[in-house]
Amino acid sequence: MGKILQVKDLELSFHTFAGEVKAIRGVSFDLNKGETLAIVGESGSGKSVTTKSIMRLLPESSSEFKSGEILFNGNDLTKLSDRQMQKIRGKEISMIFQDPMTSLNPTMTIGKQVMEPILKHQKISKAKAKEVGMDLLRMVGIPNPEARFKMYPHQFSGGQRQRIVIAIALACNPKILIADEPTTALDVTIQAQILELMKDIQNKVDTSIIFITHDLGVVANVADRVAVMYGGRIVEVGTVDEIFYNPQHPYTWGLLSSMPSMDLAEEKLYAIPGTPPDLLNPPVGDAFALRSEYALQIDMEQAPPMFKVSDTHYAATWLLHPNAPHVDPPKTIIERMKTFRGSRYYEQATGGDA
Amino acid sequence: MMAEKLLEVKNLKQYFNAGKPSEVRAIDNISFDIYRGETFGLVGESGCGKSTTGRTIIRLYDATDGEVLYDGVSVHAKKSKSEVKALNRKMQMIFQDPYASLNPRMKVLDIIAEGLDVHGLAKNPKERKQKVVELLETVGLNKEHADRYPHEFSGGQRQRIGIARALAVNPEFIIADEPISALDVSIQAQVVNLLKDLQKEKGLTYLFIAHDLSMVKYISDRIGVMYFGKLVEMAPADVLYKNPLHPYTKSLLSAIPLPDPIYERSRVRQPYDPKQHNYGTDEKVEFREVTPGHFVLCSEKEFKEMNVLAN
Repeated sequence: MGKILQVKDLELSFHTFAGEVKAIRGVSFDLNKGETLAIVGESGSGKSVTTKSIMRLLPESSSEFKSGEILFNGNDLTKLSDRQMQKIRGKEISMIFQDPMTSLNPTMTIGKQVMEPILKHQKISKAKAKEVGMDLLRMVGIPNPEARFKMYPHQFSGGQRQRIVIAIALACNPKILIADEPTTALDVTIQAQILELMKDIQNKVDTSIIFITHDLGVVANVADRVAVMYGGRIVEVGTVDEIFYNPQHPYTWGLLSSMPSMDLAEEKLYAIPGTPPDLLNPPVGDAFALRSEYALQIDMEQAPPMFKVSDTHYAATWLLHPNAPHVDPPKTIIERMKTFRGSRYYEQATGGDA
Repeated sequence: MMAEKLLEVKNLKQYFNAGKPSEVRAIDNISFDIYRGETFGLVGESGCGKSTTGRTIIRLYDATDGEVLYDGVSVHAKKSKSEVKALNRKMQMIFQDPYASLNPRMKVLDIIAEGLDVHGLAKNPKERKQKVVELLETVGLNKEHADRYPHEFSGGQRQRIGIARALAVNPEFIIADEPISALDVSIQAQVVNLLKDLQKEKGLTYLFIAHDLSMVKYISDRIGVMYFGKLVEMAPADVLYKNPLHPYTKSLLSAIPLPDPIYERSRVRQPYDPKQHNYGTDEKVEFREVTPGHFVLCSEKEFKEMNVLAN
């Protein structure tokens, strides 16, 4: 498995009237070839900012790379000029946005919009580009593309528009596709169709996907690996099974517990108390400590490093330190851990408690 | 608990642009009851008419046809000003978008107290302020928040303000139109728990409109499923999830991704096409009770098949 993208110790700040907002505070992750990496976290956790900084879509006047690098094809994307970046954007790395209503140009026919990246990045004739565009629309499931080519975005439904946005993003066979909450604005049935489409396309064209979402159900459906972000940092990263069946960070526990399950009839839903941290004055130590019932004294004083759980699984919580006291996660989490080989609650027998 | 009907919706129709070529049948002949003290969930995809139903019930729209009875009194019949006021005190609404539903130029104090002012529930400014502070504390905010403006709050806090505003006039019945859709996961659970606690404390009745089926199941006693302006299935929450009968409900349930990767790998989505029913022209498609309390929109033939399966 080759690494196609490496983000190393990225730190980024926004300069606002109120002061410096430290939106990303040391984020590192790798993206492997052909995989889907899901980044989860609530609003303000820095997940969208991370991907926008990869695409260099943040306003240069107010944002600043403090340190770190984003390595793609041996180049550090944070150091490239605008002109060099334009050759990568839409060709090597492309992006799908949350709202398909606003990410298409309402005054251009969708045919023109699909052809735009092809004509920009590839040296082919207009007629050929049109052919490629039609194929793309067919691939994403727009019926009768010949007739649809001359239509405008408002003549399509939300789900169809998102399909068109995906067609545009795929126009130049990008190596990386960044999908920023691509299904949040859609209904469950349409969401299911779009997710199926994305998986289908990934099988065909072998691109790597970074999938941003806050819906853990969607993550379980699409992801190979998951990174959980909180307060501008990645607090836990692992394979999808490791995150869902052997989570280690109290924030991941909280996220998983606050989802109502379909079969259990709990009286009260677990809710993470409090609100996300203010990144104008980020807390010293573990950003989640103030909302966590598992916080230790050291959490208030020093930020935890990434502790290794397995070769693919890392979590930033002092609870994993050898000297930390033993704590049991919430009950629903223990239930999850029981099914995971390698977790400390794993039960061999399927019969239940011994 | 299944005792007293608080709200009866009978053959309600809401057509927009009625009679014109652009006629939209947003609600097409639906009937259901809501009992006192329960939570009735209404689900369906966007454009199915679930929000319109909520808005018609509270008389934000005039119904095209049919009746809404609240405690035996018709909501849409002609009324004097004082009768309208009396009804408005009993029924309140919480809106989806906590950013758009609060006036940005008003202080939280005045936003929450507006209902008190309209209904003359506070005798003097001191009492008014005191009532607002009590309400803020009920929803988990504190009295310093009263003198701030909406933009100073997060989404979850704003939704709490919206809830406090609805509670100000001591209503019996609250229509919550997608109250958590715009909120973060960790905050959604907080707001849902707050709504549940308030229900227990004050004996409230809810109509909970949403498209997030997992949350709806968690909060509702009974659930109605809407599809293109029609109610296609209605049942107690756990029955609906364990034993959905209408193919659309099955399709909807099979589309929900759950936070469980092993289950996700084997989940098969069932598509729904209204043509699959193949109704004949003489077949009567009606809302029929298959098992006690479990209603399905179906033809006589389908009804018999479901009955065989159910018994």
